[in-house]
Amino acid sequence: MRSIVLTKGVPDFSEGAVSFDEDGHLERGKTPTVMNPNDELALEAALQTKVRHGGHVSGISMGPPGYADVLQDAMASVYTDDSYLLSDRELAASDTWATAITLSAGLEKYDEEVADVDIVFAGFKTADGETGQTGPQTCWALDWPIVTHVVALDIDPEERTLRAKRLVEGDVDEIETVEVPLPCFVVTDPEFEPTYRTASHRLTHKELRAETEERAAEHDDHLTTWDHTDLNLDPDYIGLDGSPTIVSSVDPIPKASSDREATMLDPEDGMGEVLEEMQPYAAEAGE
Amino acid sequence: MTTNDDSEPEPDETESDDGEPNETESDDGLSHPTRDKKHVRALTDGDYADMWVFCETQGGELLEVSKEMLGKARALMDQFEEDYGDEEDVVAFLMGDDCEGLAEECIAYGADVAVYHDDERLERFLHKPYTEIAAHMARGEGTVESTDWREYDEPRYILFPATNNGRDLSAKVQAELDSGLASDCSDLFIEENEVSNPVKTGEPGVKKTVEKVLHMKRPDFSGFEYSTILCLDNPDRDFHPQGASVIPGSFEPLEPDSDREGLVVEHEMDIPDDWFRVEITDYDRLEAGIDLTGHDVIVCLGRGIADDPTAGMELGLDLVDAFEDAELGITRGIVTSSYQFEGHVEAYSKEERQIGETGQVVAPDLYIAAGVSGAVQHKVGMDESDTVVAINTDTDARIGDFSDYFIEGDLFEVLPRLTAAVEAGETALEPEAVADGGDDDD
Repeated sequence: MRSIVLTKGVPDFSEGAVSFDEDGHLERGKTPTVMNPNDELALEAALQTKVRHGGHVSGISMGPPGYADVLQDAMASVYTDDSYLLSDRELAASDTWATAITLSAGLEKYDEEVADVDIVFAGFKTADGETGQTGPQTCWALDWPIVTHVVALDIDPEERTLRAKRLVEGDVDEIETVEVPLPCFVVTDPEFEPTYRTASHRLTHKELRAETEERAAEHDDHLTTWDHTDLNLDPDYIGLDGSPTIVSSVDPIPKASSDREATMLDPEDGMGEVLEEMQPYAAEAGE
Repeated sequence: MTTNDDSEPEPDETESDDGEPNETESDDGLSHPTRDKKHVRALTDGDYADMWVFCETQGGELLEVSKEMLGKARALMDQFEEDYGDEEDVVAFLMGDDCEGLAEECIAYGADVAVYHDDERLERFLHKPYTEIAAHMARGEGTVESTDWREYDEPRYILFPATNNGRDLSAKVQAELDSGLASDCSDLFIEENEVSNPVKTGEPGVKKTVEKVLHMKRPDFSGFEYSTILCLDNPDRDFHPQGASVIPGSFEPLEPDSDREGLVVEHEMDIPDDWFRVEITDYDRLEAGIDLTGHDVIVCLGRGIADDPTAGMELGLDLVDAFEDAELGITRGIVTSSYQFEGHVEAYSKEERQIGETGQVVAPDLYIAAGVSGAVQHKVGMDESDTVVAINTDTDARIGDFSDYFIEGDLFEVLPRLTAAVEAGETALEPEAVADGGDDDD
């Protein structure tokens, strides 16, 4: 099985790492870049496929040269075999449409020149843009069958089919089982969990980790960078020029307004007011 | 790569390079044709009108969010008429197995026109056929009977629900129509916008006022900021319809009025079997989950339990048990955390107990927020509570702005004391009494 995983670098939103300016806007330059958390699940899904069926996993990302670090992290932590970075000033300020067109061009080039691809994996959405559009739109450009919100998957290499469970939201949430022929596009759900049922799978997983350490340390040797001419893209149709949408304004989330005025209480002073509020709702003694 | 094997012709109005080499020799210095242009379907100087609303269904019924969007679309287009003097329609569009009745229901919920496509193979959502049919409808293709009510190329605006399937559909339909999209919007309004971006105006340094722009407001950057997204034409490439997906619960539906008049139109199109390469073999409703509404008391835990998530959860549950009618809620932060909970409390860490904008909205008599920082998305889920008690070590935590009582302390110490006091029926608690273990055995 040959898989490619879409990854992206995002600001580290974990507490303490994220930095804001005086107006309350995110300071991207001062906030470290990390791998988008949802993409890790896509990588895990690709790794599970490799552990179970063998094969090759490539990471691909579109972004500034610094995103090579994200791809290196993908190699070190989720054991990809090699990395592809689509990087070019012409790609700056792409919205999801322009990103999808570029990624699909990279995937087509890979499929034509590197190896036939069986599965493209993507995460649900990024922690910064949070659109959830890039996976489906990239797949639209490829016109492959797609399965999204995947929480579990099994592959039958002989039949060349993939069976997946996916989450459907509605007034009542549902879980669907779908079958799709390879090659296909898979978007993992945040609830996706890889499973390694047999001892031999767990052993393979361990061996892959050992062999990856060396490779990740020499990441540059396993990195291919493509620019817009490599991808045969017209600058008028990618980047900012090729993006239908613009961000008109960004406002800090307003500080929550409320009519309430909090009474400050020190627990050492008995918290009597709060206990009086609570007592009417106490369970009957003995329950 | 398996190449695109559906051989349907490109739509007539496409501006895309049609694959003939060197048709327009001068457009760039690259080899022809470039990869990207095969996906360009946009018009130039097209005609656009109406607000279209994709009405998602489940089990033969409209989703609540479909009704909410119709209500919002109605309000927006009524205001549109007032502002611009042009009467434009709210057009519901939907597909499924036997959905004519639902199309009629869309009229009752505020649509002027409802376009539906019936096919038993469409009973459940499938990316490929749903995308193709939606784009076909939007372009006004189909039989004369199904399109003669309209005189424009594509919709001016288009709304989708921000559900798993609705969001996917929005992305693919807008890609197919070669236009843009803001996802997970919580507010929408239409007004003019002064644009200075040279890509959009065509000339650097020039400001241009664009009328009738749909302003799409959405939380992003993991909830740290609100962005207002616009989908604007380039000078030589129209980006219409302006698209948005809408978070369920953001708007109120109208009271359905079965006397409302509207046009119900059946859409026709040949649907090849090849569009059904993804096959749904089985589906199940997930368990109904936990209903946190309607209880006297909610104890909500936040990331303050991080030091020992399992113990924190146990302490929260102990306090829940001390009340007659209480339930445990959690914040988004816990749902998305990587905390390792021990088995007996893990079941309480799931999304079904999440309170907030993307979870449940509760309004108990008493709301106890322990270790909750108080993001605005959380406030939305609990601000209607009668009395709010916050327990937090950080007096700057935002939860303090919407609490009635703020107990400055560590939940690992405060929760057991509260539990003991409630169980003992005490209304005052001397520190010594707690240290002695209280005067009442449980």
